[in-house]
Amino acid sequence: MSLRSGFATFAGKSSYWFLHTFLHGGSSLPGKITLKLDPNILRTLGAKYDVIVITGTNGKTLTTALTVSVLHQKYPTILTNPTGSNMEQGIVTTFLNAKNPKTGRPLAVLEVDEANVIKVTQYIEPKVFVFTNIFRDQMDRYGEIYTTYQKILDGVALAPNATIIANGDSPIFHSKELPNPIEYYGFDDQPDQDLKAKPNTDGVLCPVCEHILHYHSLTYSNQGKYFCPNCGFERPELTYRLTQLGEQTPTSSEFEVDGHAFKIGVGGTYNIYNALAAYAVGRFMGVAPAQIARAFTGNQQVFGRQEVIDVDGKQVTIILVKNPVGLDQVLHMIGTDKQKFSLVGLLNANYADGIDTSWIWDGDFEQLAKRNIPTVITGGERYKDITFRLKVAGIPDDRHIVEPDLEKVVAEIKKVPTERVYVLATYTAMLQMRKILADKGYIKEGLGV
Amino acid sequence: MTYELNVAHLYGNLMNTYGDVGNILALNYYAKQMDVHLNVKIVSLEEDFRAADYDLAFFGGGQDFEQTIVSQDIQTKKAELTKFIESGGPLLAICGGFQLLGHYYIGADGEKLPGIGALDHYTLAQDHNRFIGDIVIKNQETGETYHGFENHQGLTYLGKNERPLGNVVSGKGNNGEDGTEGAIYKNVYCSYFHGPILTRNGEIAKHLLVAALQRKFPHDDFSQQEALPIPATF
Repeated sequence: MSLRSGFATFAGKSSYWFLHTFLHGGSSLPGKITLKLDPNILRTLGAKYDVIVITGTNGKTLTTALTVSVLHQKYPTILTNPTGSNMEQGIVTTFLNAKNPKTGRPLAVLEVDEANVIKVTQYIEPKVFVFTNIFRDQMDRYGEIYTTYQKILDGVALAPNATIIANGDSPIFHSKELPNPIEYYGFDDQPDQDLKAKPNTDGVLCPVCEHILHYHSLTYSNQGKYFCPNCGFERPELTYRLTQLGEQTPTSSEFEVDGHAFKIGVGGTYNIYNALAAYAVGRFMGVAPAQIARAFTGNQQVFGRQEVIDVDGKQVTIILVKNPVGLDQVLHMIGTDKQKFSLVGLLNANYADGIDTSWIWDGDFEQLAKRNIPTVITGGERYKDITFRLKVAGIPDDRHIVEPDLEKVVAEIKKVPTERVYVLATYTAMLQMRKILADKGYIKEGLGV
Repeated sequence: MTYELNVAHLYGNLMNTYGDVGNILALNYYAKQMDVHLNVKIVSLEEDFRAADYDLAFFGGGQDFEQTIVSQDIQTKKAELTKFIESGGPLLAICGGFQLLGHYYIGADGEKLPGIGALDHYTLAQDHNRFIGDIVIKNQETGETYHGFENHQGLTYLGKNERPLGNVVSGKGNNGEDGTEGAIYKNVYCSYFHGPILTRNGEIAKHLLVAALQRKFPHDDFSQQEALPIPATF
């Protein structure tokens, strides 16, 4: 370690100690201080680790947590970054906080924001990259899917020897020739048909000849066993195959990968993709299927986002929604619930939510409306938008309560005729709701993620 | 339902950003209240658009890459689309769709890409800037106020035979200079509004549907449809 790096590390670590001890904070500021003193600090800090970088639009956090659980079955020391610290400063802080490893080469499993991959690879050559998916995010903040993928590849170009483990069902991950070794995971549980993606889907053009892609089977959005009838472009050979899909509920999923049975304590096809990614990394790193199965069932906290809150006997689940594909998947997931439930939609449009509310029209609320949900409540700062969305979806007025004030939404929730209640909320609406529930003593304050 | 209308959703599988599909959902919602059934069909790459087959058309916005591909393909539909527009066919075009009905637009890499020139506007590009935010405009002829969310790099300048959809009350509009937003030509309505436009401004959905009904069933009385109340949704 150079004198400069040594000093920068010391300054960063002390600032972390100060912030953590006296201010109960300190997730990115120590990284910021350290970076100021030594912009190349990641080279020094990361040199001791075998690094696995996980990136993509959706599923980074859960895939990272699951991957850590899986790898713990074989590797005792794993460094990982906490949720939300996926930009350069947060990653530097993560390394700063690490205890010095005593023996061997420890692993670092890092969730990295798409545009920040290059900030890592400038200094560290990762061993593995994991690409989860690239979907259209709310574009007042992010670019188009092709621009986003290019940002990732700009980072990957500095690490041509790292193995890429990519979602094989996503056509964009097969669109560019790369020097890296690549392994793909995907779904292979359906007989071949000739299908097209739903009309309102992004990224359905063949990257080779620009015709519309067809599919032998589809999971959701533009993911599946794609092929181009015009030029022959098709899904690559999968190294890790989901061979059978078992029972799916909002709180559990059963499936087989390469013939091995797995169960995870969370619903949603998108979460099965996250588990499949973690399985692929585990297998690549030499973890046995039985150990992976144990890791999947042993660590329920990683699924913390979907905790159930008891509100005077109502079982309330708050789910964060932030972009069209995520919203669609959440709607599909709660649709697998066999019990009757009530639905609450809370929409804000602050910067952290996305200031354009148009994306709610891309979610398939129409499917959900067919389930005869006994009570629907809409609220939040942009309650008019979400109210009209559900009206158009076919929710009848006599079952639809419009209540902008979240305090009163809580009162309405207590009156719904079902025990189960799903609350879909944008980021700041979720924070406001949690604050109210904390003030009333239903939960401890905090994000719970 | 008493009436049926055939709707072409132009390039609906490629030009579909920012919840633009909500316009189709809103058309359906108001059509039902007018006793009208809509048959919506996507007309995309290498598929024929025949003016005679459709009573109403919707053309949404897309990502840069998709819009480049559509800019090439739409040339094969130019004659029939122009025929549809000139014969009074009602059409709603948003963002990229708006740009492609005009003479040309400037793509992401600075290249000039052709539209079909059915309407007399053209579109330039801002340098590393976008107009992003809430927008309110007022149509001087009808007195109606429209609400939306704009998010565009393009700067569109209207031609001689076009009227703006409205004058900017707050926000940027077509080009940030001349105070216009969108365009109206015959029964064609163009705009940069997302939100989507028809979910927040049901009056425009009503104008489109009534125009389509009157054109297809010239001997019927649609005063009841025209009287449909549109409650504020925004």
